[in-house]
Amino acid sequence: MEELLEIMNEINSDVDYATEDNLIDGHVYDSLEILTLITEICDTFDIEIGAKWMRNENFNSAQRIWEMIQMIQEE
Amino acid sequence: MSIISFTFLIFLFSVFVLYYLVPKRFQWVILLAASIVFYTAGGIQSLGFILTTATTVYIGAIAMQKLAEQQKQYLKENKAVLSKEEKTAYKTKTKKKRKYWMLAVLLLNVGLLCFFKYFHFALEQINAILHLTGATEIQDTFQFIVPLGISFYTFQATGYLLNVYWEKTTAEKNYAKMVLFVSFFPQITQGPISEYDQLSAELFAEHTFSYKNYSWGLQRLLWGFFKKMAIANVLSPWVGDIFQNYGSYAGVTVLIGAFLYSIQIYADFSGYMDIMCGFCEVLGIRLTENFERPYFSKSVAEYWRRWHMSLGAWFKNYIYFPIGMSTWSRKLAKTTRAKMGKHFANTFPATIALLIVWTATGMWHGASWAYISWGLVNGLFIILGMWLEPVYETCRNKLHLSSDIWAWRAFQTIRTFILVTFIKVLPEVGTLKDGVGLLKRIFTNYTIPATFSEWFPYVTARNTLCMIAFSVVVMFVVSLIQRRQPVRQWMHRIPVVVRLGIYVVMFLGIVYYGIPASMEVGGFMYAQF
Repeated sequence: MEELLEIMNEINSDVDYATEDNLIDGHVYDSLEILTLITEICDTFDIEIGAKWMRNENFNSAQRIWEMIQMIQEE
Repeated sequence: MSIISFTFLIFLFSVFVLYYLVPKRFQWVILLAASIVFYTAGGIQSLGFILTTATTVYIGAIAMQKLAEQQKQYLKENKAVLSKEEKTAYKTKTKKKRKYWMLAVLLLNVGLLCFFKYFHFALEQINAILHLTGATEIQDTFQFIVPLGISFYTFQATGYLLNVYWEKTTAEKNYAKMVLFVSFFPQITQGPISEYDQLSAELFAEHTFSYKNYSWGLQRLLWGFFKKMAIANVLSPWVGDIFQNYGSYAGVTVLIGAFLYSIQIYADFSGYMDIMCGFCEVLGIRLTENFERPYFSKSVAEYWRRWHMSLGAWFKNYIYFPIGMSTWSRKLAKTTRAKMGKHFANTFPATIALLIVWTATGMWHGASWAYISWGLVNGLFIILGMWLEPVYETCRNKLHLSSDIWAWRAFQTIRTFILVTFIKVLPEVGTLKDGVGLLKRIFTNYTIPATFSEWFPYVTARNTLCMIAFSVVVMFVVSLIQRRQPVRQWMHRIPVVVRLGIYVVMFLGIVYYGIPASMEVGGFMYAQF
């Protein structure tokens, strides 16, 4: 989780990731930031985020992203 | 069937009555019947094409779903026997089969869309090349009618197909329900382009009559008719006059015409959405919203997140992200990071994806170089904004400008409105040359008109101009209210007398200005796409 928060803080440090749960639906992250986040996650955690994971609810909070990473790793 | 007609109002009323008369489990059947009636009223010859799309997408989705279920079953039954390699090989084989299905259905439907939309344009380009080489040109004698709403229903159906392929959605097993999803009449001519999960949940749920839905829906319907008939249709001949004769008017007169066009297209397109969303609300169905006060955007990128939102979301989900997330794109980002830095590495693949998205967006809007250029200019501004963001930030910091102060936000909003207006007119004047010519006129002719008729040569009655000015102020105020709360919630709170007064003003606006204007003006602007 710490690694993920590091990535996210580097993308946008103005967000309180402990409470923010509307990152995508609330347009807190724009499409470039989403792409950057995905690229960084794939590289850092050595996973492939397939299209089926591309749902707003999977990216709306740091916690949900972390849960998604774990699910992909378990697959 | 024209949406601005008594026939359409009678049609809506009949659907409303039947919808609540039949047992709830058959409500969607009424919508299906209404959609087929609406579609065939526009020409029975197009019915075959929309059914082809619905049928092929239905079959393709079912086939892909079956393959996925077979795989799951097979792997479950043989879990203990199969090695990891055998499992991977089986998965790869199934994935390949599913991909063939997806590609076959996708290519057929996108092929149909391309044929109908770009055949004449492609032939023109081929002839231009043949002309240059001195060869005999091909006679364009092919005449065919473009199926109603093909751009919208093809995108909606292929979005569903891809979602099933990506296992984001379960395939619909009921063919009639699939036909309704593809042909739902309120969105067939101008969208929104809905996601299957969202729309199907609304269409196939059982809805009980609610007075709140009924009154709120009718309010929105009335507002939509007002915007379309009393604003967009009144402005239509004015803008048409400017676009046709821009060369003989003063630059400032043409500039006003360009801004009027911005108001016209917003009132027209969002008016349609209000009519259809309002009617669906009466039925208890929530349609995907297509607008979120777009002229209050602070950048071109934000504007496109708030204007025709469902089309933007489609391009983002089915083109931008798949390109941006592709292996080659990520490899490109990795390679460039070491040499050019993080900002370049992140921005470069996104730039490629955006160029493709905006070329496609331009082509989706129309088969002409004017539309392709329009798409690319939009893309260019978005890409420049992305690349220059660090520069803007440095400038803001040096000037001690906070991005939160209202003056800065107001500047950004006005700047974006002017920019999108100039980009918007580019394909609408006629050819690309005309679009550039109109912009050139604005920037090179500094004549100050001396009389009212020189300022507004298209205005025949001054009271109509006053009504337009008043309506624009009303639209602006409505947007300001929407920033804080839903406008109907606000309407609900104001005294009944004031509310009734608003209804009367809108009704009179439609009767006195909208109906005469609508007799001269045709359908909706976005229906041409």
